[in-house]
Amino acid sequence: MAELLHTPLFGLLLTLASYRFAQWAYAKSNSLALFHPFIVAAIPVIIVLPLVGVPYEEYRDQTALISFLLGPATVALAWPLYRQLHTVRSVWRPLLITVVIGAALASGLAVGLAWWLGAPETVVGSLAPKSITTPIAIEVARVTNGDVSLAAGAVAITGIVGALAAGPVFRLLRVEDDRIRGFALGLVAHAIGTARAFEFSEKAGAFGGLALGLTGLLTALALPWIWPWVSSLMG
Amino acid sequence: MIDGLLILLLFQFLGEVLIHLTGLPLPAPVVGMILLLFALMLGAPGMDKVSEAAGALIRHITLLIFPLGVGIVLQWHRYQDNALALAVSVVFGTLIALVLVTLLLKVLLRRSSHGGGGGDSHHG
Repeated sequence: MAELLHTPLFGLLLTLASYRFAQWAYAKSNSLALFHPFIVAAIPVIIVLPLVGVPYEEYRDQTALISFLLGPATVALAWPLYRQLHTVRSVWRPLLITVVIGAALASGLAVGLAWWLGAPETVVGSLAPKSITTPIAIEVARVTNGDVSLAAGAVAITGIVGALAAGPVFRLLRVEDDRIRGFALGLVAHAIGTARAFEFSEKAGAFGGLALGLTGLLTALALPWIWPWVSSLMG
Repeated sequence: MIDGLLILLLFQFLGEVLIHLTGLPLPAPVVGMILLLFALMLGAPGMDKVSEAAGALIRHITLLIFPLGVGIVLQWHRYQDNALALAVSVVFGTLIALVLVTLLLKVLLRRSSHGGGGGDSHHG
């Protein structure tokens, strides 16, 4: 019997059941950012694995099928990007400038702060793509010699911090333009931020999705070229 | 659904091929995404069939990612020496970036909406 724990069936069952439970809990909490499915879904897995004596590395192998789908999910981002490119023709120039500066800021601040506090290169490299949507971040983390599981965690926490901070920050800065709210959220806090933007309005959500796609694309294109230089600076 | 998945996997594969041929240091799915975006913009036939599969995958990105994310807790011993750097970088880095990006958008969008040459706007 116990050998069943060491088959992909066990890992996949545990993962899907945890996710289903997390979706239910998120809906029950009225989409409270603290109850984001990423956080809640992780809890049963974190409890069950040590209990039944399955090491994390083995669980990761068991769920390789699920993680593989991150590739096609990244390709799939072309679809919402394409759909939204048409809706924002009139303001493409300020948006494009913001993406270039904003993506550099989001990544640069994460890298700079971690490096300044003495984190080793693997950790710094895992944080570089923290503001972009997970499937792309995972791929970029490989290029920056990061750790994919640390990168995935950093991305999720970034999204949750962004979604929680959005309300107070926009109130403080007196921002009522939904184009700004949505685009800033999508740029800094990727998919979780975009979901938060949809709570402001449909328009904010569309701008969030556009920012998410553009930021992910730009970071994925730029970091592999810039990283060797950053890495040599950290020496 | 199957057509959509087929298109997505095909474009990821094309991304892989392009990287092998050119030696570009880019993730294959990202190259696949750009190629698919071009195909969509050029109006390649049948591409809208990607909609259903793309929607399903994007909607459930949390499911695809959290098995990797739980590693941050289950392998915490690997990261605990850098706990402060991680927390500061992720929390404060995100807050500062959100504030700066919001301010930047405020300035740029105000300028562009006054760009028509009316009233109080000064071109600088």
